[in-house]
Amino acid sequence: MSDRFVILKRAFIDSLPVLMGYSAMGFAAGVLLSAHSGIDFAGVWAFLTSATSISGALQFMLVDWIAKRTPLLDVALLTFCLNVRYAMYGFSLIDRFKGIGFWKKFYLIWSLTDETYALETECKIPEKKKNIRYCLLLAFFDHSYWMIGVTAGALAGKALPFSNKGIDFAMTALFLVILTDQCREKLNRLPALIGGGAAFVCCLIFGASKMLIPSMILMITIFLACRKILDPAKKEKNA
Amino acid sequence: MSTTAYLWSLIAVTAGVTLLLRAFPFLLFGSGAKTPPVIEYIGKVLSPAAIAMLAAYCFACYFRDRPLSAHYYGAAELIAAVVVIGLQLWKKNPLISILCGTAVYMFFVQKIG
Repeated sequence: MSDRFVILKRAFIDSLPVLMGYSAMGFAAGVLLSAHSGIDFAGVWAFLTSATSISGALQFMLVDWIAKRTPLLDVALLTFCLNVRYAMYGFSLIDRFKGIGFWKKFYLIWSLTDETYALETECKIPEKKKNIRYCLLLAFFDHSYWMIGVTAGALAGKALPFSNKGIDFAMTALFLVILTDQCREKLNRLPALIGGGAAFVCCLIFGASKMLIPSMILMITIFLACRKILDPAKKEKNA
Repeated sequence: MSTTAYLWSLIAVTAGVTLLLRAFPFLLFGSGAKTPPVIEYIGKVLSPAAIAMLAAYCFACYFRDRPLSAHYYGAAELIAAVVVIGLQLWKKNPLISILCGTAVYMFFVQKIG
């Protein structure tokens, strides 16, 4: 067997758990898009949106945004909230991705999801060229599963033989899963509590529809004011 | 704006913001500059906080969209949430947690609620 095939096989096998996750989640998001967004040709839009943003939570939020014609500035801010965690992933990959071609690097960055990131950081192939080939294949597999899941869901959409009422809970569940995993790390617990608390307070004051932007402002203000307590880097310096 | 134009702009905005976030560290370090510590700090704490906020937002929307007395005063949401968190703590498998939690919720709102 050639080296290329070995790497391809390894990337594919490692991506199998993601196949399960992405196709099932994507399918649910696709079904929602066709059933609740009120647009024609949901399959086409499902394909385009899943191909370009590759973000689970975003794919679910899109349905609501499209149905309500949410202003684009709000969309931009909400996308930022949803995906700000991606901005942290790259820091650990900078050295790995140094010196590779522009388009390869572009694709690796573009396709960086939670799951792909986790698998890429676990890859221990020492030779750089092979390591990058592995990452590219893995990213491509994961990306494909997501697109196929979402598009298939949108096409099956209304034809499903059972009622999909309540399927939107998949998005809430996704947030709860990410949150649970983040809270395994002690350092994340207080920030999560502040975020949830700020959201609760702003929901009472502004109502559910207008709570997100005030919540963001409130929590960032708290974070800046309490940096001495919350920032581990700062704490060490003071000690 | 027509629906098609809106959808294209929506794709441009969501894909653009997401790509910029993903590229953020590479753009900063590409020029050899060091990240200001305050940015690194905000990024770190904002990530769990934003997810907690979004989870709270989902629940707020459930209570906005229907009367408080429906679904046994939120018992359906609460039970489904406990299932998701419990399974995730126990099995550490996102797919299982999400599918089971959603199934429980769908059962409640379709058969009982």
